[in-house]
Amino acid sequence: MLSAQNLVVSYGKSPVLNGLSVQFDTGGVTALVGPNGCGKSTLLKAILGLLPKSAGTITLDDVPIDDIPRQTLARRIAYLPQENHCPDYIVLGELIELAGYARYSLFGGPSAQDRALFADVLRTVGLVNMAHVPVNSLSGGQRQRAWIAMVLAQDADIILMDEPVNHLDMKYQYAVLELVRRLGQEHGKTIITVLHDLNLASAFADHVVMIRQGKAGICGPTKQVITPENIRMVFDFDADVFMREDRLVCLPRQDAQMRANAE
Amino acid sequence: MTGRAKVFSAFILTLMAAFFANLSLGATNIAPEDILLAFFSFDVDNYDHFVVIYQRLPRVLIAVFVGSVMACSGAVLQGLMRNPLASPALLGINAGATLFVVGGVIFFGISSAFQGIAALIGGICGFGACLMVARMSGMDGNPRGLSLILSGAVVSMLFIGIANALLLSTPELRNEFLGWVTGNINHVYIDRLHQMWPVGVGGVVVLLILSRALTLIALGPEKAASAGVNIVLVSRLAIASVVLSSSAAVAICGPIGFVGLVVPHIVRPLVGAKQTMIIPGCILVGASICLIADMVARLAFSPFVLHTGVMMDLFGGVVFAFVVRRYYLTPGLRRSL
Repeated sequence: MLSAQNLVVSYGKSPVLNGLSVQFDTGGVTALVGPNGCGKSTLLKAILGLLPKSAGTITLDDVPIDDIPRQTLARRIAYLPQENHCPDYIVLGELIELAGYARYSLFGGPSAQDRALFADVLRTVGLVNMAHVPVNSLSGGQRQRAWIAMVLAQDADIILMDEPVNHLDMKYQYAVLELVRRLGQEHGKTIITVLHDLNLASAFADHVVMIRQGKAGICGPTKQVITPENIRMVFDFDADVFMREDRLVCLPRQDAQMRANAE
Repeated sequence: MTGRAKVFSAFILTLMAAFFANLSLGATNIAPEDILLAFFSFDVDNYDHFVVIYQRLPRVLIAVFVGSVMACSGAVLQGLMRNPLASPALLGINAGATLFVVGGVIFFGISSAFQGIAALIGGICGFGACLMVARMSGMDGNPRGLSLILSGAVVSMLFIGIANALLLSTPELRNEFLGWVTGNINHVYIDRLHQMWPVGVGGVVVLLILSRALTLIALGPEKAASAGVNIVLVSRLAIASVVLSSSAAVAICGPIGFVGLVVPHIVRPLVGAKQTMIIPGCILVGASICLIADMVARLAFSPFVLHTGVMMDLFGGVVFAFVVRRYYLTPGLRRSL
């Protein structure tokens, strides 16, 4: 189980995470939501040890993350950054093969088991027979699925995603998040993903963590957390939340929209 | 045979052709069978054998060493900084090595044996100065290393300017070093190759060992770290290898610019973006290009002989313009490495 206690992380002198404590359930999809700059992405980077902590601890199965060697950590936690950069001339198959870095010996390459996993990953993300295609020639949706394939090929049980549907249109947003949900439900992965859109979080997340001013404000099952009261408290914004065809829908109130426009 | 195997076969054939052409062509052309005889049945009284073994073979070995080392260094720097303009020449390494050798000879009268050491220290100082200027400008966090390259250009101009000023003020050394500071592959420098080859070969071996991690770093530091790469260790080891091996190359025959910039751009489209493929490709193509440049420099303007460094600058300048146009000046088409 992954958890953070009294976590303080600062950029310069101003703390972004300010005593945040949170515990992530194993399995399923957890959405991190909150206003811009509240520390969602910072939390993911701190979990990976990419940012120095001023205080607090992050533990994985009760072992402090700092005590876990980087290659061991890579076999437990995979990460999909917000912006992904792919060099020209790299093909999908090579990208996926690179994900197994932590499993390879210094002079060795992927085993037969690894190759079976890579084929399985391509099937899962719907990019079969595209291993020889240059990543930069894929469409936006395909490219995002290629990055998810790379994360899956790392074969970690916890996957951190920073706005995985950024820059995608509605069709690809739903396709990618449907894939993310399947990874949580069918493949038993623990997915922790930053999402800006509360409707997407409502549709695809099993749990929601609302972060406010660097602290995990409210955590719990999606339907209990996404309420008009919590949205007002965390986002300082009025929205209606209602059920439609068994799904939660968040809709900004008209007066709130006008107020936001005026600001 | 896969496409990549065909490409590497072509690289090896080109290198072999350039190798034998360099041994064969010159003021006197020597037949291939005489070259083989010079290697396997050396006759001390045969002038052709003497030319092959004592004049042309040293040049060829120096060209192979310098071309390979500089090309690998450029490929690794471009990947680490995710910038297509990165190369040892543009990061102050060549200029630092040049200044320390010239300064060492003028101020301390260091012998040829110590000039190699001075070049290694100079390369490190040149790169250090480049880092310092980038940090002073407050832009060292620039994700694509552009500030580092601009700082490198400033440091290189300054160091080369000082080296030239020192040489101009010392007429008795000017002729001796004029060739060296413009990059001159010459058989008289074979002793320096003998002294410096372990540094260059060691550096390239380290880069080969790190090549998979270096490919991941080219995807971005966050991606690489999450995949299990120790970014700080790998980057430091790679930069140390690059600085030391390119300084060793400069120590031998002076700064031969543009090999480090140009060769990776030739190799990458042919072998792909994995450093595990690019580095071996750069070893073969870098060596071939240096051999060809050396041959063209000697033969194209006969009876005049150009320095290899000048030839590479002429060729590299054209490719440099192409790189800038492709990566920086084409709106909407700025490509990643």
